[in-house]
Amino acid sequence: MHTSKLKRKLNDLGVNASSSKATENFCLIGTPLPPLEKRDAGEFVPLWKQEVRDEKGRRRLHGAFTGGFSAGYFNSVGSKEGWAPSTFVSSRSDRAKQKQARPEDFMDDEDLREIRESRKLVDENEEMDLVGGTQAELKRRAGAGEVEKDSIAFKLEEALLPPPKDSVGAKILKKMGWRPGQGVGPRLTWRQRKMQEIQFAGGDPSTLNEEDEAEEAKKHMYPPRDTPLVLPPRKEDTHGLGYVAGMKLGDIVSGQEDGGRQGPQISAGFGLGALNDAEDEDMDIYDTEMRSGRARTAYDILDADDEPTSRYPRPAEGVTASTAAESRQSFRDGTLVLPGFVIVDEPLIEDRWYPIPDVPKGWKPDPRRVWQKNKENREKEQQVQELPKPATHQQWKAGITPGQRGNLLGETPIKAAPRSVFEYMSQKDRERLQNISSNLSTPPEAPKVQSQEPPPPPSSTPRVEPWIAKAALQGFQPFTNDPVKQSRYTTFLKAQAEPDAPLPQLTPLPSQQPDVFRKELEDYAKAAVVFKPLSAAMAGRFTSAAVVEMGPQVNEGLHTPAFEPEKEEADEGKGKEEPEDESPKAHAARMGMYGLMTREVTAWMPARLLCKRFGVKEPIPEPVEGEAGPPPAAAGAGTNVNKWTPEAALAEASGFTPTGAEGSNAGASTTAAGYTSLNENQSQGTGGVKSLDHVGLGEDETQGADILTYERPSMDVFKAIFASDDEDSDDEEMKDEEDEKMDVDMSSPLAVKQEESTPGHLVEAASTTNYKPTVAGVKEDIDLATFKPTFVPRSESKKAKAKDKERKEKKKKTKTLVSFETEEDGGYDVPLPPRGKDKDKERAKKKRKDKKDDAGEDNDSMWVEKPAPEVVKALDTSSAYLVEDPADTATGGEVGPPRGRKRAVDFM
Amino acid sequence: MAPSRGPQPLARSLHTTLSNHRGPVHVARYAKGTAKYILTGGQDRTVRLWNPTIGTEIKVYASHGYEVLSISVAHDNSKFASSGGDRSVFLWDVTTGVTIKRFSGHMGRVNAVDFNADASVLASGSYDATVRLWDLRSQSHVPIQILEEAKDAVQTIHVGPTSIITGSVDGHVRTYDLRKGQLRADYIGQPVTAVVPTADYTTYLATTLDSTIRLMDAGTGKMLQSFKADGYEVKNYRCRAVFGSEEATVVAGDEGGRVWAWDLLDGQVLRPNPPPRVHEKVIGWTEHHPTDPGEMVTASADGTVKVWRHPGKS
Repeated sequence: MHTSKLKRKLNDLGVNASSSKATENFCLIGTPLPPLEKRDAGEFVPLWKQEVRDEKGRRRLHGAFTGGFSAGYFNSVGSKEGWAPSTFVSSRSDRAKQKQARPEDFMDDEDLREIRESRKLVDENEEMDLVGGTQAELKRRAGAGEVEKDSIAFKLEEALLPPPKDSVGAKILKKMGWRPGQGVGPRLTWRQRKMQEIQFAGGDPSTLNEEDEAEEAKKHMYPPRDTPLVLPPRKEDTHGLGYVAGMKLGDIVSGQEDGGRQGPQISAGFGLGALNDAEDEDMDIYDTEMRSGRARTAYDILDADDEPTSRYPRPAEGVTASTAAESRQSFRDGTLVLPGFVIVDEPLIEDRWYPIPDVPKGWKPDPRRVWQKNKENREKEQQVQELPKPATHQQWKAGITPGQRGNLLGETPIKAAPRSVFEYMSQKDRERLQNISSNLSTPPEAPKVQSQEPPPPPSSTPRVEPWIAKAALQGFQPFTNDPVKQSRYTTFLKAQAEPDAPLPQLTPLPSQQPDVFRKELEDYAKAAVVFKPLSAAMAGRFTSAAVVEMGPQVNEGLHTPAFEPEKEEADEGKGKEEPEDESPKAHAARMGMYGLMTREVTAWMPARLLCKRFGVKEPIPEPVEGEAGPPPAAAGAGTNVNKWTPEAALAEASGFTPTGAEGSNAGASTTAAGYTSLNENQSQGTGGVKSLDHVGLGEDETQGADILTYERPSMDVFKAIFASDDEDSDDEEMKDEEDEKMDVDMSSPLAVKQEESTPGHLVEAASTTNYKPTVAGVKEDIDLATFKPTFVPRSESKKAKAKDKERKEKKKKTKTLVSFETEEDGGYDVPLPPRGKDKDKERAKKKRKDKKDDAGEDNDSMWVEKPAPEVVKALDTSSAYLVEDPADTATGGEVGPPRGRKRAVDFM
Repeated sequence: MAPSRGPQPLARSLHTTLSNHRGPVHVARYAKGTAKYILTGGQDRTVRLWNPTIGTEIKVYASHGYEVLSISVAHDNSKFASSGGDRSVFLWDVTTGVTIKRFSGHMGRVNAVDFNADASVLASGSYDATVRLWDLRSQSHVPIQILEEAKDAVQTIHVGPTSIITGSVDGHVRTYDLRKGQLRADYIGQPVTAVVPTADYTTYLATTLDSTIRLMDAGTGKMLQSFKADGYEVKNYRCRAVFGSEEATVVAGDEGGRVWAWDLLDGQVLRPNPPPRVHEKVIGWTEHHPTDPGEMVTASADGTVKVWRHPGKS
């Protein structure tokens, strides 16, 4: 920038920039400005002018408009020839070349240069190569099939060039003048070198003759010979170290006796092994004084063809200087030894031969005698050895027991009764035992002492306490599978059980040895103690096993199917004591009293799948009482908690349907559509299982039905209530009259009809409920089934009254007496179309469907059918009659207001 | 048969002898239905199928590694089950003669097998004192249920339509009632080797090892009748006693090779008393023809199976 500006300025000034004057350098200190004609590399160039070029001067980065980063051939992909998609090249044929991709194959020049630079320091990252045999070198050689070098070139290169790497040591040696192939060390004269050669060859350097040496050769110093590689021979035999094949014991011994003058001085050094040619030279290899100049190594190479060494020290093969000097030995008397022979220092040891003893006449070989003798000897030895013999660990640990000590001392062992016997014996038994023992003339003696006598007296047999013997007789018989033994055992026990009785004592079998017999008796005594049953108190809690030993039973003849052989034995074994401890069940079975005693009935649950497979219903283990019977009436009534009415409860309790009741005394009851529907709801509620628990829950289908279907009771209800109220309080007489009327009504055809349609019990129930004495001051013939003291609150009733008024007007009914009007309504007004609207009808139908009982039919008949006109007729008559009674109307009509309570009359 | 004339006499004339078994024959069963064939199993580890009428052997089923102790034929005669010393139950296909299934699980030799009515369950009772109920419908090799109430080897099993009756060496006859879900164990007092119920399942015949056959009331467990005889000896071997024709008699072989017959009602030994010795050795299995009143088969330890018929019959 500066230079170009400067140039331009200079040009403007008319100065030739290329002239030498212009470029003259006057700079003494610091860096001079670059010459004008040369481009200043560090010159500032605006960013848009800057260029990136590679080392070959090619532009590497272009502007965005000129192609951006250029990576190919002049901003193109591919090469000079253009881009061609690479075709598939099979590597199959090239496989033989074994080309291995190296990192270098993928490197460009820069990388290669870097690598080359990094390779300059060999020791940094390459291992040293002593013999050129390291892995890297071998690899290099193996990978000789480098493409760029053919094999000949490589061979040439290998031959011409020295091995590329040397170890540091080799390098140092080389710098010190060593060459490969030479030995290490100072230079030698010709003679020295010759001697060395002989040495290496295994010869004696002293044999060197120097006559034929060239004069010239002696003038120079020579590098020493390379030290031959020591090759320790392989040890292929199985001899131990130091063993010399063929060497006899005598040699070694004689050598030792000679004190080192002859033979190897084995004692002088260690490490003398089989590899040492010990008798080669009679010298100690580790001795410091060397008789020959030859350097000996510990591991001389064994001659492969070394013949087996002779019994006597053989003469040295190579004649040493010393032996050469005194070439001949002389005997003691002075005569010379023949050449090639050596005087033996030690006299020959002859084997001694003893004469065969003379066999006496008539002698016969009897080895048994000898064996016997030997055995006695051995026994004696054992006896001798036994006492001082160290006790085993266990013996030592346990200490010597008194019994053992007694045995050692030859004491007679004391037969101690088992401790448990005395513990379990009663006082009486003990006394008896003492008596018996005092009665006995001869105290029990040790069987060991008695054993020598052939017929052992009965007293010498091992004794068993009589009570034990008795018990054992009853108890388990251990030798059941050996009848002979068992019988002997029983005899023994019997004899022992009653020692005083003249019972046959057990005698040894004819062929029985006394000690065997004694052993047998001891066994019996032991068995008796072991197998005696427990005391009576304990015995009841245990049962003895039937058979313990199941010895192999040999059946004669052909094998026959054996199903219960063991059972038979068990029967035999148990036969005796079974009756005593059998269960009542078994007893019953034995007596043949099968039935309840022998039968056990237990619950057993078959698997579900089993029942399925058998096609049997799975049994119910415990039959649970079903929820039979109707739910309690209170619960049923409780379904309509908010609408609970005593008459509903009563009706339900008596199995009486309210509608039936209404139908029955239609003349008297105030029947309203809303009310009936309500009652029907109730009856529905009682029909299905409905309890308080369900109320208000989601699954309660009837929930809210009563509210939804609730229709405000008709005017008649209110009228009935209030009118009757008035009448009750106002006029007793009139009430009486009305009562009579009602009686008449009841005997009217409707009542008859009721009898036909409703079942008897309903009628009775209805009657009972109907003619209860009025409690709440209700004088009218309003029965409890329809009367609801809590049904309409006062405030509500007032409103209702107001509405009723309007309805009344619609009805266009002529005013009649209150009470009779209600009856009119109750009797026929409900089912009539104007009052019971379509809705009502539908509801009624529904209800009809729902209700299946007689009361339902009764209801139907009451609702839609004929009785209504009859009733109407009846009512008409009565009403007519009543209408004609002015007094009644007067009283009924005008007494109300002063009480401050509206009467039904007021609404008309 | 008129009741005044008493029960029909036992078929006592030898019709044919089936003697291909080597060694004792432990079991001989009639086929189901018209029962024209006999299956026998013995110590020689084979099950053999015979035509008793002409006395020829039809087939040999040899897969068992040990003796065959029990055979049960399925209701449709297409399969049969056998068991024995090799502690497993083999289910065979009759026609192909190969085992369809082998149920193993018992710890000891399997003394008895029996199908249920439609051959969907196979019950096996073993020396290991268990009864295993195998499901034949599924491929499962695990028993549906194991009845472990017996205290000793289970010797015999009868599977009824709604109950399983087992007899055990512990002296009990156990009736597993599936409908009631209860187990009735009747203690006989002696090892029970065979239990044969009547067709109506109100009584059953229990053979025990005290030379006595008892007719027990299945409902109450009471003994209705006991059958003994002077020469009748059964103390060691399973000698199965069965009902004769129309369940009017009780037929049993004994260890001496005799075939005894009793009147069911009065318990008296029927005519040839003592009966002739017809087998060399113990008669382990007696089976009366299910439909033909005049045919009977006995299997003995002497290696023969004898078919008995009335002399009049061919």
